[in-house]
Amino acid sequence: MDKINAGDTAWLLASAALVMLMTPALGFFYGGLVRRKNVLATIMHSFFILCLISVQWVLWGYTLAFGPDIGGIIGGLDWAALRGVGQDPGPYAPTVPHEAYMVFQMMFAVITPALITGAFAERKRFKAFVVFTLLWATFVYDPVAHWVWGGGWLGQLGALDFAGGTVVHITSGVSALVAALVLGRRVGFGREAMDPHDATMTVLGASLLWFGWFGFNAGSAITAGGLAANAFVVTNTAAAMAALTWMTVSWLHKGAPSVLGAAAGAVAGLVAITPASGYVDVSASILIGLGAGIFCYTAIQITKRFKVDDALDVFGVHGVGGAWGALATGVFATVAVNSAAKDGLLAGNPGQLGIQAIAVLASIAYSAVMTFVILKLIDLFVGLRVPESEEVLGLDASQHREAAYQI
Amino acid sequence: MEFLAFASFAILVVGWLVAPSKTVTPVSHAEERKAA
Repeated sequence: MDKINAGDTAWLLASAALVMLMTPALGFFYGGLVRRKNVLATIMHSFFILCLISVQWVLWGYTLAFGPDIGGIIGGLDWAALRGVGQDPGPYAPTVPHEAYMVFQMMFAVITPALITGAFAERKRFKAFVVFTLLWATFVYDPVAHWVWGGGWLGQLGALDFAGGTVVHITSGVSALVAALVLGRRVGFGREAMDPHDATMTVLGASLLWFGWFGFNAGSAITAGGLAANAFVVTNTAAAMAALTWMTVSWLHKGAPSVLGAAAGAVAGLVAITPASGYVDVSASILIGLGAGIFCYTAIQITKRFKVDDALDVFGVHGVGGAWGALATGVFATVAVNSAAKDGLLAGNPGQLGIQAIAVLASIAYSAVMTFVILKLIDLFVGLRVPESEEVLGLDASQHREAAYQI
Repeated sequence: MEFLAFASFAILVVGWLVAPSKTVTPVSHAEERKAA
């Protein structure tokens, strides 16, 4: 039997706690960006998903994603309700308890559907959101996680995704765009101001996301060693570089260095370095951060030009940032950083970029189609949007009968 | 690659130097009351 390593186990459990914090942090990030009448409903999306997927994951999510492979497509039900997942190491991490690996992966499954909520903020019926999250986690997240990390076909093909560029960010970003298109624009979109009600809350949320991301990326090394240290350093560097780039581009474009732009830029950099963080060195992370700041900012300007009401810019940050990061992994990866991985284009292996492109396209196509189908079914049986009168009143009052502030 | 990393940071520094530094003049409360 493999021997459990105390350092690895301590780091993985601490990382799971760091990633757990990211979901309520996302609630604050999004909560600050919406209007005052919708802040509680927006925070509730993230908090509720933390609870819902924590249960879904132990009952059937983990086994679908990481259970014994069935045809490269999905995991078997052998580990349903964590049957056989205990204190001994599992097949994915030889030096930590299987339960520790499972709970670390749980936190990824939690935050991914929470990312989508930014696209349908301020107009989605709570019941529809609940059903959507459960179906999306089961039929989109779990299979794609299996494809890449659970022994599925993309992993077998050789796709590199250290911490979730395809599994987390492309799936959520593309699904967000589909959700924004299917739900339609908010009442008053383009005619009235929909300014963030509390920018300080958003910056606080972004800062906590940055903090938690060290667990997301450095924790994905699954060992407390050099690879985790490298992932930590490149994560911080890319986030900083993307924040500086986004702020600079928006300053040159709109005439002022935006605080919210710096916060969004940091998140874009964190997204882009996620798939690459176990495969690239610090110089590459600077270039990945630079690209994230430019590409994500530009993508958001384009979606606004097309009047797509992706309320909190999920597609621009996560879809585009995730795709850029996944492709950049195929360019900058080097075995000098991770001897268990493969070289990328610049290290003499152009084929890796092609494999990364296949992973990106497959993730986009599958999540787009499945999200569309799920949303249409929910619209048929439950109804996706609140009535216009309730939207005008605000979701805090109409959906939750509560108010965020008594001042 | 190190050269590109330094160059990209240098581009940002140049961007900060050439970015507009015009500020919006704050309106004092006295002026607001006067206007009202």
